Amino acid sequence: MRQFPSDVNALDKVLSWFEGMNRPFIPQKVCLQCQLALAEAFTNAVRHAHKNCSPEVTVDIEVTLLPQYLEMRIWDYGPPFDLEQQLKNVPETVNENAHGGRGLSILHQIADELSYTRTDENRNCLLIVKHY
Amino acid sequence: MNISPVVKVVQPSGILNGAKAQPFRKEILNHVENGADIVLIDFKDVTFMDSSGLGALVLALKTVRAGGSQILVCSINEQLKTLFELTSMDRVFTIYANQDDFNNAVL
Repeated sequence: MRQFPSDVNALDKVLSWFEGMNRPFIPQKVCLQCQLALAEAFTNAVRHAHKNCSPEVTVDIEVTLLPQYLEMRIWDYGPPFDLEQQLKNVPETVNENAHGGRGLSILHQIADELSYTRTDENRNCLLIVKHY
Repeated sequence: MNISPVVKVVQPSGILNGAKAQPFRKEILNHVENGADIVLIDFKDVTFMDSSGLGALVLALKTVRAGGSQILVCSINEQLKTLFELTSMDRVFTIYANQDDFNNAVL
């Protein structure tokens, strides 16, 4: 598990940490999709969940590589949020006229499983599961 | 006699996310305000782009098209290609392999 500051400028640290993981068995395409999903998840945590927090409040990320799939968990200290309800409002395909909401749509398209649950300690955990 | 269109090139670098989205969009719009017919976005030095960076490009596209100009794109790496495909923006933007490819096709 790694902790990152609530700052969109910390995205380079998130990306290089993910790139540094040993994963020769994952196809490049899947890797790029997971990297993008992780970036969108991190940015959502910083911009939305931690909107009113100082940068010292961390976003905690854990990536678990398994033989057939990987799990990425992103914890934030934000208020509760109904992801499932929000996803119902996100169109399956992103159209040219949609300004925002692309991040969630991208997560939705990439992830085989996607959930956002309230944990102990008043945190939220976004879980992204992706099969290879 | 052909009159060549006025082409300006915008060449962002590094990670193109929310932190750089605003200045990126402004740079594109400045060129159009100064008379560019075509703004070519050369992504060869961009290592990673997320939905915020793409959002800035799409927002700029609307303004640019409304003014009768164009945004064209070149030199996207595999990561950007993934992003463009996932969001169907590969069907919205004309994407060239590199600046030479663009020059041959357009100029």
